[in-house]
Amino acid sequence: MQNNTMSLKTENQCVTDKKFAVINPCKMCQPMGAVQALLGVKGAMPLIHGSQGCSTYMRFQLCRHFREPINVSSTSMSEGTVVYGGEGNLLKALNTIWKEYNPELIGVTSSCLTETIGDDMSLIIKKFKNSHPDEDLPPIVPISTPSYSGSHVDGYDKAVKSLVENLAHPEENNHKINVIPGMISPADIMAIKDILKELDMESIFITDTSESLNSPLTDDVSFLPGEGTKVDEIRESANSIATISLSKHADSAGAFLQKKCGVKSISGPLPVGVRNTDQFIDYITKRRSIEVPESIQRDRGKIIDAIVDAHPYNYSRKVALYGDPDVVTGLSRFVCELGMIPSVVCTGVQSSRFVEDMEKIAKENNVSPVVLAGCDLYDLHQQVKCQDIELLIGNSYGARIAEAENIPILRMGFPVYDRLGAQRISILGYKAGIQMVDTITNIMLENYYDESGHEIMEF
Amino acid sequence: MGHIQKNKPKSHLSLQNIQNAGTNEINIDVPDSIIKTLEARKNHICIKKGDNSNPSCNKASIPGTVTQRSCVYGGARVVLMPITDAIHLVHGPIGCASCTWDIRGSRSSSDDLYKNGFSTNLEEKDIVFGGEKKLLETIIELNKLYNPAAVFVYATCVVGLIGDDLKSVARKAERLTKCRVIPVQSEGFRAVNKSLGHQLACDAMLDYLIGTDEPETITKYDINIVGEFNVAGDLWGIKPLFEKIGVNVSCAITGDSKVEDIARAHRAKLNVVQCQKSSNHLAMEMEKKYGIPFLKVNFFGIEETSNSLRDVAQFFNNPEMIRKTEELIKSETERLRAEIIKYKERLAGKRVAVYVGGNKAWSLIKAFEEIEMEVIMTGTQNGLLEDYERIRETVKDGTLVVDDANSMELARLLKKYRPDLIVSGAKEKYLSLKLGIPFCDFNHDRITSFAGFQGFINFAKEVDRAVSSPVWNLTPKNYSGVKENAK
Repeated sequence: MQNNTMSLKTENQCVTDKKFAVINPCKMCQPMGAVQALLGVKGAMPLIHGSQGCSTYMRFQLCRHFREPINVSSTSMSEGTVVYGGEGNLLKALNTIWKEYNPELIGVTSSCLTETIGDDMSLIIKKFKNSHPDEDLPPIVPISTPSYSGSHVDGYDKAVKSLVENLAHPEENNHKINVIPGMISPADIMAIKDILKELDMESIFITDTSESLNSPLTDDVSFLPGEGTKVDEIRESANSIATISLSKHADSAGAFLQKKCGVKSISGPLPVGVRNTDQFIDYITKRRSIEVPESIQRDRGKIIDAIVDAHPYNYSRKVALYGDPDVVTGLSRFVCELGMIPSVVCTGVQSSRFVEDMEKIAKENNVSPVVLAGCDLYDLHQQVKCQDIELLIGNSYGARIAEAENIPILRMGFPVYDRLGAQRISILGYKAGIQMVDTITNIMLENYYDESGHEIMEF
Repeated sequence: MGHIQKNKPKSHLSLQNIQNAGTNEINIDVPDSIIKTLEARKNHICIKKGDNSNPSCNKASIPGTVTQRSCVYGGARVVLMPITDAIHLVHGPIGCASCTWDIRGSRSSSDDLYKNGFSTNLEEKDIVFGGEKKLLETIIELNKLYNPAAVFVYATCVVGLIGDDLKSVARKAERLTKCRVIPVQSEGFRAVNKSLGHQLACDAMLDYLIGTDEPETITKYDINIVGEFNVAGDLWGIKPLFEKIGVNVSCAITGDSKVEDIARAHRAKLNVVQCQKSSNHLAMEMEKKYGIPFLKVNFFGIEETSNSLRDVAQFFNNPEMIRKTEELIKSETERLRAEIIKYKERLAGKRVAVYVGGNKAWSLIKAFEEIEMEVIMTGTQNGLLEDYERIRETVKDGTLVVDDANSMELARLLKKYRPDLIVSGAKEKYLSLKLGIPFCDFNHDRITSFAGFQGFINFAKEVDRAVSSPVWNLTPKNYSGVKENAK
């Protein structure tokens, strides 16, 4: 593994003692991200062209995180079919899905297996379409996601880009804004939708898992996302006034729309905390040429009020953060606003943008975190050990580090499988930020203050 | 039961047909009335009637369906993963490791090395130039960091395609590190389901581990429990029972085991096989190679646990042991009967559907009978003919038997039969809960131990918790329909 350990610390630096192995990964593979994007399209069936294990194990991860039934179909490649290529299986799979599920869209992702044997998915899909000339087929979108390059973050980006490339259709301009949320929770998407509603800004989310991965218990079960972005909305995205990618790592579709259809594209930062949310609100209000509404100003006032109430408990506490790059940078800036110090930040993804963003945040807040990019939880653990970390923020996989080092952990990101509510955790915008301030501060109080509220000190 | 018999199929698969099943498509007249499904799937669902009803099985899943099956790598991994002091290194792109790392609730009484997710993280250039060098360096590095008792190296799909020679790298790494390095040729695509993976895992132990070390002490009553993975601590409900009757469990393969224990397993006098889905092969091969006889056992339920202990005592034919066994059974049965009454009051007459990956499809049936619940449906993802024979022997006439059900079929079956409980794994959990059907986890990530006498109480408690919760008074009563998106 090419550890991209970029340390901004000049002294007391812990050196990672491994070069090759990944131990306790802090990333997943491309199809995983692509599938998550597809689950936000109404009536879409994701199909992984590969072995059954790919779809099954991804469903397993997604089910236990979102606590929803997740359907991802597979071309079920096995030895015989690998030898002769995957064309037969892919054609059969498309036919089965079309006939059995009646989907509004089929998103086909490749895997390491089918990329290596060289299946040309676009050609096979064309063949399938040609063999049904008079039928009303749903759009079928190929997404190239070899699992030996990039990560789930790239897979998400590629899926959104493929959707737009294959569907976006320039017509008359509308007054909407495209939002590419990135891999955030259903509640986060809902938080952004609420803000846009308050700003009276019509939007197209590409894609929208706010309902499909956080659905009510009714009297039925659907096999395809019953809610989400409609195929027609993706078509219409070519006519919006701008595209805003909340995650900087999910902006390829925005860049495509800008180049092909002249839709202005901006990307990031993820609206976490006060300043990042300010930037987001600022951008939208400028687009709309309006003042920030009173209700949003009040929310902003409330989060600052909360931070003021909390500041003595959080000041100079050392935090380690890990997970997807934009979530980690967003949260890093946020904990700085709380007066905390992001001492170690880690992502499994190789990303120079991440490193640049962290440099900026470090400079702006006069902190010097150890920045781990393209690293794993082993590397994180080594750093946590020698930095006197007081709080860990990241997914459930970090719980064992927290236990070993006897520090509290705030579970956040993907996957969170050992606590309830992953689909309801929101960190975006002022309102969710207020909850976050309380949660973090209460963790500090529970762990570093005694029953009567006195700080626990070693005398 | 009347509910099901209304839907009796007109005819059933014959055994002859089953044996031909792998070679040609048989046209069997099963009416559409069971549930609506694909033509090729119809003979995978049947209703047990007399001696000649088995579903078609062990065939490739239909591309495009949402199969509940996993891959060969997954099959090998779940068998070997509970070995606690070994490194389980996945040679492949990151996804294979990051989606399967620490997913098995196998508990350990000492080491926790097995709970880590190790990967060679193959990247594009490795696919082009080959991953052997990276694999060797990775093993050497991991050996330095952890000094493990062994390194299991699992091949994934892409490794099979680029042709990395796992065996020669393992030999070289073993020479350089002096640590056991065991290749597992578990390329995901090698078979239509994960059963081959189970066998490959057994072969890896047979070829590289078992018989490579000698135990310090040997007793006349040493046994191995084969196919017991200590999920949620099941083994700890079984081991003390054997201790009480004077049988020494030298090793469980592989639950809560150490590499060294398995290396010495060839000196046992008897193998008892708990998971007969994954581990029959291992027991049979050990009989051939080391002359160790084996008994099939089952520790789910009072009667099954009692019979299993009896069988072992009978095998050793020691009067003292037989006496102790009967005493133990008597006292435990009396204790449990008293404890179980309160659960029976709430559970008796309720109907159960079982859909699992392994031998639980039949091994749980008796346990449910003991709390007076009725199993109306059972099935497995990876069943072979022998598994369905076993199911047929265990279930009553009229029971629905399903092979490789995809999620759409499962939903339709649940909607049609509306069982009071489904026993299954995480992927099926939220499907059933969304339909308002109580769910009990009996898969890798189960958190409560169910094996042995005390385990049976836990099991009853868990089932009661799922079925009797007042939450079901809040969910919709009348289900208008499964959204089918059908044309």
